[in-house]
Amino acid sequence: MRAIVKDGIGIFYPQGFLDGNNAPSYLTIEDINATEHLKVDMLLVSLKKVIFFNLNGLDVFVKLLLRMRTKNHIAIGICDYDQKKYEAIMTYYKDSLSFSLFKTAKIAELFSSSYTVKDKTVLLYSSDPSQRSALAIELYDHGHNPVIAQTKEEFDEKSMHEDTYYVVIENTRLGLMGQKVATRVTGNAIIYTVSGFLDAEIGNTFNIAYHTNSLNVGFRLFIFDAYKVISMNVHAVNFLAKLSSSAAEYNATICFVGMTFEKTPITFKNELEDSGLMFFENMDDILKDKDLLEELGGSSVAVVKNKRSLTKTIVQELSEFIDATVSTIEMMTNAKAVKKSATMQTLVIENIEDKMASSIGFYGDIDGMIILIFPKEVAKKSCALLIGEETDDINQILDALAEFVNIIGGRTKTLLSEKKISVDITLPRTYATAQSLLDVASSKKGVQVDMSFNDDNFTFFLTR
Amino acid sequence: MVTPEDIKEYVKKIPPTPAILNQTILYVNAGDLSKAAKTAEEDLALKAYLKTLVNRPIYGFRNEITELPQIFSILGANAAKQSLYNYLLTLLSPKKWVLFKMNQHLFCDLQADLSRNWHNILVHLGVDDKDIESAITLLPSSIIICEALFKDNIENVQLLRSAKNLDYNTILKRLTKLDLFDISKYISKVWQMPESVGTILLASSGIKPSADEDLNKLAKWMHLLLFYQLSKPQFIEAGLNDFVEFNTDYVMDIYEDFMKLMEVQS
Repeated sequence: MRAIVKDGIGIFYPQGFLDGNNAPSYLTIEDINATEHLKVDMLLVSLKKVIFFNLNGLDVFVKLLLRMRTKNHIAIGICDYDQKKYEAIMTYYKDSLSFSLFKTAKIAELFSSSYTVKDKTVLLYSSDPSQRSALAIELYDHGHNPVIAQTKEEFDEKSMHEDTYYVVIENTRLGLMGQKVATRVTGNAIIYTVSGFLDAEIGNTFNIAYHTNSLNVGFRLFIFDAYKVISMNVHAVNFLAKLSSSAAEYNATICFVGMTFEKTPITFKNELEDSGLMFFENMDDILKDKDLLEELGGSSVAVVKNKRSLTKTIVQELSEFIDATVSTIEMMTNAKAVKKSATMQTLVIENIEDKMASSIGFYGDIDGMIILIFPKEVAKKSCALLIGEETDDINQILDALAEFVNIIGGRTKTLLSEKKISVDITLPRTYATAQSLLDVASSKKGVQVDMSFNDDNFTFFLTR
Repeated sequence: MVTPEDIKEYVKKIPPTPAILNQTILYVNAGDLSKAAKTAEEDLALKAYLKTLVNRPIYGFRNEITELPQIFSILGANAAKQSLYNYLLTLLSPKKWVLFKMNQHLFCDLQADLSRNWHNILVHLGVDDKDIESAITLLPSSIIICEALFKDNIENVQLLRSAKNLDYNTILKRLTKLDLFDISKYISKVWQMPESVGTILLASSGIKPSADEDLNKLAKWMHLLLFYQLSKPQFIEAGLNDFVEFNTDYVMDIYEDFMKLMEVQS
């Protein structure tokens, strides 16, 4: 059994009965190896479709989760359970509960660093005051607005207005959270959250591949939210100095916000400033100062001209990218997809109204980005297999588009690996309007291919 | 991937019930088990299948049973009819499995386990009906159909399932508007099985409950029994555990009763 990965969260979905006798059969050695290589911030086991489990059965999955947390510094837990299952887990692990429990996968998403939806108002209750605080702090840290019920009575009363909240959180506990440096995107700046004492371990917990790819796709402002950093040692200073120097090659800026140097030698600050890193007291000093934001490169990704052009290797492998797109469209729609025209140009989108897009980056032996642009109705048709039912919910369609481009990315990766070209893919990104895509990619040069299936047109764009 | 045309092609190839088997079933229906045994003797493959089936451990016979009259007599009319339909289903199963890590032996194990447990469930529920007893035999047809339709699309399905938690039944339904259980029901018609068999089968998918309360209740037991079986290590390893979606809500009201009957301890 393989975990399904979405928005940086991997979830295992066992079905039926889970006991000590059958649980090892769910996870082959290949499955465990594949899990180790997953690029996720959080790994969960869903009990939604499990009707019976005992300690021995659940423990097979829990041991795998614990191993992944130690190895990959990720958050781990169990999700999708009812009251009875929750009580059973609490009984089984009462003295050793070090993983998280999320009543639903939707609740778990709120605690994932990669989850793009922010600023959600949620109702929160836990009878354990320390859990209540921990959950609230994490939710704040992830950009949400928790309404905290202090008593069960208050919770019951507030939950009567369930519709007011994005989600109601109860029967949820935080275990040790992942040690990965949390990442989120605000406008066109990327914010990394760090805390505690920074040492050589930052080299393991910081997602350098994500950072490099963000540089490649045009992000130019990177902010370390360091309000909770107590101190750092010379290893962390060296790491940050190198990061700053390499960012300079892209004309990008790295800022450190909120760190007091009460317990850190001031020479470290000087050293980091010499390498180009900038220090600010408050986040708002940057994010609310439009002129400064523009100067630092965070007002728009597009303001920085991306001079990276397609390499010969990428152009040579163009057919693989197109094949992956065509075969994915054909798989999803059972319709024949055809290439209509292909030209090397900057991205041009005609009739930009009512169009949406998704993109996915790849990096490794070659790097670049695949962009797909669809009229809304065509996007719905293309993703009907993923959406399942007729919907006009823009979030559902965008969600499906992200999955769609993710499949194309996966297929491209496979096709390229057959030619001994090794690449990894990034998380997919979606654009509710074509304009929001143009803000990011209008200056990019690449190969634009107009394609169609069942007389519906869409655009494929390959760029760096 | 899989198109409605593929399904049309597939159902065209479903063989009708062989004449000898048909005659044997008629004798069983009439309660004449000795004539049924005599007729079955004419089909050597059927004879071999019945011998192998009833000598599996789940049937619990101490000594090997080799003679057909003895087999029919021990099984009784209900279980005999069930076994004949089990044989009929093997005529549909592939010689070589590609999508699922199955083989003839393992498939036969699944049939035997389902049949015996279904028999025990019906005894527990006080249901004594030949047609309902044989309804279970068609349940594994969904696995055979799935194998046939998706075996040439393994890579596509894997890619799709790496991005979204979709079972084969849902994928098929979204691509063709028909699901595995619709096709199973169609097979029951081709094989002239009673209408109730198709109804229970369709409801046992967990997504199409029957309006007939009695048949719907039996379908719940069948849905839970299927996942009880597919949670056995050999079937998880064969890749069958999540080929269709388990609807836990559908079976919640019979769960405790089922667990007691199957003697599952927490």
